[in-house]
Amino acid sequence: MPSGNLGLVVMVLGYGAGAGLSLLAPSDRAARVLTAIGAAIGCIGGLIAASSVLVTRVPVDATFGSLVSAAGGVAIHLDPLGAFFLLLVALVGLPAAVYGVTYTSEYEGRHSLRLFGLMFNGFLLGMSLVPCAANIFTFLFAWELMAITSYFLVMTESQYAETRYAGLWYAVMTHFGFLVLLPMFLIMAPGSGATAFADLRTHAALMSGSAKSVVFLLAMVAFGSKAGLVPLHVWLPRAHPAAPSHVSALMSGVMIKLGVYGVLRVVVDFLGAGPAWWGGLVLAAGSISALSGVLYALTENDLKRLLAYSSVENVGVIFLGIGAGLVLQSYGLHTLALVGFGAALLHTLNHAFFKALLFLATGNVLHEAHTRNMERMGGLIKGMPQTAALFLIGSAAAAALPPLNGFASEWMVFQALLSGVQIPQPDVAIGAPLAIGVLALTSGLAAACFVKAFGISFLAMPRSEEAARARESHWSSRAVMGVLAAGCVGLGLAAPRIFDGLFRIAGSLFAAGSSASPPAVGRLWLAAPNGVAQVSPLLIAVAAALAIGVPVALLRWRGLQWRRADTWGCGRIQQTARMEYTSSAFAEPLRRVFSELYRPTEDLTINVHPDSRYFIRSITYTSAVVPWIERAFYDPVARGMRACATQVRRLQGGSVHLYLLYLSGALMAALVAAWWFR
Amino acid sequence: MIADPLSQLVMLGSSGMLLTALIVLWRKGIPAYVTAYRWQSWLLAAITATVGYYGHDPQLYWVAAVLLALKGIAIPALLATMQRRFGAEREATPYVNTETSLAIAGALVLFAYVIARPWMTITTLPTRQGLPLALALLFVSLLIVVSRKKAMTQVIGFLMLENAIALLAAVGTYGVPLLVEFGVFLDALMGFLVMQIFVYHIHETFDTIDVEELTRLRH
Repeated sequence: MPSGNLGLVVMVLGYGAGAGLSLLAPSDRAARVLTAIGAAIGCIGGLIAASSVLVTRVPVDATFGSLVSAAGGVAIHLDPLGAFFLLLVALVGLPAAVYGVTYTSEYEGRHSLRLFGLMFNGFLLGMSLVPCAANIFTFLFAWELMAITSYFLVMTESQYAETRYAGLWYAVMTHFGFLVLLPMFLIMAPGSGATAFADLRTHAALMSGSAKSVVFLLAMVAFGSKAGLVPLHVWLPRAHPAAPSHVSALMSGVMIKLGVYGVLRVVVDFLGAGPAWWGGLVLAAGSISALSGVLYALTENDLKRLLAYSSVENVGVIFLGIGAGLVLQSYGLHTLALVGFGAALLHTLNHAFFKALLFLATGNVLHEAHTRNMERMGGLIKGMPQTAALFLIGSAAAAALPPLNGFASEWMVFQALLSGVQIPQPDVAIGAPLAIGVLALTSGLAAACFVKAFGISFLAMPRSEEAARARESHWSSRAVMGVLAAGCVGLGLAAPRIFDGLFRIAGSLFAAGSSASPPAVGRLWLAAPNGVAQVSPLLIAVAAALAIGVPVALLRWRGLQWRRADTWGCGRIQQTARMEYTSSAFAEPLRRVFSELYRPTEDLTINVHPDSRYFIRSITYTSAVVPWIERAFYDPVARGMRACATQVRRLQGGSVHLYLLYLSGALMAALVAAWWFR
Repeated sequence: MIADPLSQLVMLGSSGMLLTALIVLWRKGIPAYVTAYRWQSWLLAAITATVGYYGHDPQLYWVAAVLLALKGIAIPALLATMQRRFGAEREATPYVNTETSLAIAGALVLFAYVIARPWMTITTLPTRQGLPLALALLFVSLLIVVSRKKAMTQVIGFLMLENAIALLAAVGTYGVPLLVEFGVFLDALMGFLVMQIFVYHIHETFDTIDVEELTRLRH
């Protein structure tokens, strides 16, 4: 058996065993361990299958025609693009599974860990099968498996009303996406019997331009709602905080990326890119997502919601890369287009690593501080220095600081967008610089956002008892986070090599792709062909290490010693946590600059002494950001639904006779219609 | 005009079944309804047996026997038990009074003939004369269910509706296979049992079997 097939078998058996055995586990503790063992074996299987496809470049095929034959059977085809996303699932799934063993211990006795194990493994299996699917049934089955199991995982802490509310949003949005997927496949399918992806690909070549555009728009809505593109992102900042942290890491790191996979598969692979306005639309969606994602992240005080909004931002960046690729492809700049798609893939991989790391670190923080509110944290670096260091690495990567991985991919997205300037068309000449500007602003704001996330949570003095008592978590969770952090650094340093590979994967989507050679600028330099600039993360790292290491070494050699002392206290006698910079205060300047976007509500209550108004007893200040983008899109929908429901409710008269009359009337009407139209 | 005995017998039986349904619209005491239903079921069994005899389909004798046992004897017996318990409640004030009900029933029979006409022209079965009558029975049964207030009457209306469907199947397809007929039997039986329980519960809750009271359940 070839290693690819073997890997897939191990993967399915591993997840299946994890799901089944954890359900039958004799104790909660056994359930936790079995969940992780099954998931780990499954991930290793996925890793083997994906890497064998990526290395040998020979796709893995398997069909089980007799399985659900009425729907076309189960068909598997793992090509390099699918293998890349399968790799993503396995690379994040493995740390998340190991992390889960200790993280879920606090659920013992409160939630069913057996069902959790079933859902966790089912979730991983669903996510792993999506990129393997080779016909409509298999794809939709895996998609739905992923959606349903993740819904149950989100609902783990269903005792909180907030979680139930998040679950409702998630269920509605994910099924809305599913509903849009069906007509998309229906239009693409050439006939009732031909549901294999190969048939769709050949049929797509024969479709008219307008039919293709309809498929494109449906794909953007369906997969965009999974990926979290604004304005379809509403479920994301609700569901991700509600889920257990390692599930959030999987959802944010991997699941939303399968929306990216869907767009690449359908729009680029099946439809073969398209007219320039497709790219323009993707660029616009990416720009809005990136900018509004980071702006909402900035004002967020809930650490996990902040990370969720940051995922919206990063998905926006990924879509900027895809959009640049689509625009360049439509103008025949094939090699440059592949730079855009490759950059999108690179950012997909990088975001998975640093966002998983950040969510897992946040899980540790949550476990100790017992709150997601950053205003109740602070000073955590003293109790949990290693978690703090790991969170800092993740933050730096998310803020796109070189030489970490976030920098490399955002830089490549910039290169792809800059290539667009070469196209002598007025709309592109205006659109590309706009997108570049948005990306630049996003990167800057993301840096501010993660300064806040790290600084407010980990530095200064603790703002609550729990934060003061915080201690380092179990070594295993720190170990897996260390692996992810090493990945962040390694992916950053090796970015030119990895980008080469991803460029080839993007090229494999096009029939002509094999002819395009990657931008051969050596293993050291990241650059686009004919690009204006090139950069080497490795050399930056060396330079940074020298810039810090040489002076330190010199100073030590000159005989300077480390000195521990109090920092300057601004002349105050006493420092308390109430004097610190708060999360809201940090974001206040930006809140004012972008007040048009945030439309903050402010409420200031000053309670004065009854005898003199110069003696103030207390000041209460509350300010909230109005998510008007959500309201603008969803309030009309909700109102319309409610109005319809109210109208329909009139039918419900409460009288049995009335209902029977409806039935009789419907029968008569059907008979008359049959008689009339005979 | 109609020469062969099968057509004549089917026509006679179907008309008799329709007539028994009209009895429900016209009489007000529940014992009369049970009797009407019993007669209707026997006529249905007879029609099925007749179709079986002329169509040389011995399976239909079995169907007729089961019909007779279940709908001709068992369900009327159960109905009689229920009637002994709630029989004192007469269908005093239906939504539609007797005269109007009969007028509507007449209109429905006409409607059934109009609706069945295209069907009659394409079928050559000797039993086709029963089709409009079966449809008419169906409509009249629906009228009973919709216009009468007591739960007992509605149960009988439902059972007659079921008989109408069985008749339609028998005359429209020249005899239904035993298996299909059994499926319908079971459905009807289950429906009847569920409704019987409902009637008992309605009586327990509201001290009457007047279905109008159920309106109070709506908040």
